[in-house]
Amino acid sequence: MFKELDPILHLQLRLAIMSLLISVKEAEFTFLKEKTNATAGNLSVQINKLKEAGYIEVIKQFSNNYPQTVCKITKNGVDAFELYVKALQTYMNPHSEG
Amino acid sequence: MPGKPEFSTQESMQLINERIGKAKRSYISKGIASMVWGTLIVLCSLLTWMRITFHFYPGFDVWLLLIFALIPQIYFGIKERRAKDFIGHDDNTTIYVWIAFAVSIFITSFYNSKYGNDGSATSIMILYGMPTFILGGIYKFKPMVTLGIICWILGIISVYTSAASDMLLMAACGLFAWVIPGIIFWTRYKTEQVSNV
Repeated sequence: MFKELDPILHLQLRLAIMSLLISVKEAEFTFLKEKTNATAGNLSVQINKLKEAGYIEVIKQFSNNYPQTVCKITKNGVDAFELYVKALQTYMNPHSEG
Repeated sequence: MPGKPEFSTQESMQLINERIGKAKRSYISKGIASMVWGTLIVLCSLLTWMRITFHFYPGFDVWLLLIFALIPQIYFGIKERRAKDFIGHDDNTTIYVWIAFAVSIFITSFYNSKYGNDGSATSIMILYGMPTFILGGIYKFKPMVTLGIICWILGIISVYTSAASDMLLMAACGLFAWVIPGIIFWTRYKTEQVSNV
């Protein structure tokens, strides 16, 4: 049986952001921009969507007088990501699960 | 990266693996501090060996060089940390490992200098192997685990050798615990930089 894929995560850039954030404790906006090769505008929009869904936490602060945006994955985000990966596996190995 | 709404499950899986891999590769340290520190340990050990064997005295306690090495060590450490735009899950653990190591080395050296412990090199070598082994385990980097074990083996050998030979073993320890991991990190860092171009 195919499980439904979370529509919030089933978008390339949002999934890329989540995959990066799950492997670090927290990351700056610049790190995400560099690793995803996304434009700042597009990245901001998708980060906001993930924040609204409660999947990530966004902290805006100042570091050495420069504004800094730090993102970290929430518990809900980790759970959603794990569910998404499990759902994906049902598509990739359709005969392994009933 | 385009925000295309639908993509295949294979593409999703590939993307997840690729991004997680990229984030993990970002942990790579330049290894400069490790190389500087290791080279000094090798140098100090060889100079001490020369002092014991050939009665060559450079005019000062060569181990004081390590205090001067702390300056570039701290400088490179802060610079590397500031340049990082993410915090890894293991970063705090790493800091605590280094603090534990520094405190242990300080207390051991203090004890040895107070009581003139002849076998001091053995305890120092055992301590050298500790951070290399633990960090190798944390980062799942087998060469570092092996190098940490080599330091411990050298420590055991030093129980049966003379003070002069201990210094040669200590030099080997510096090489295995710091210089070689530093070179490995530097090579990986450079390779990663080239692959990112």
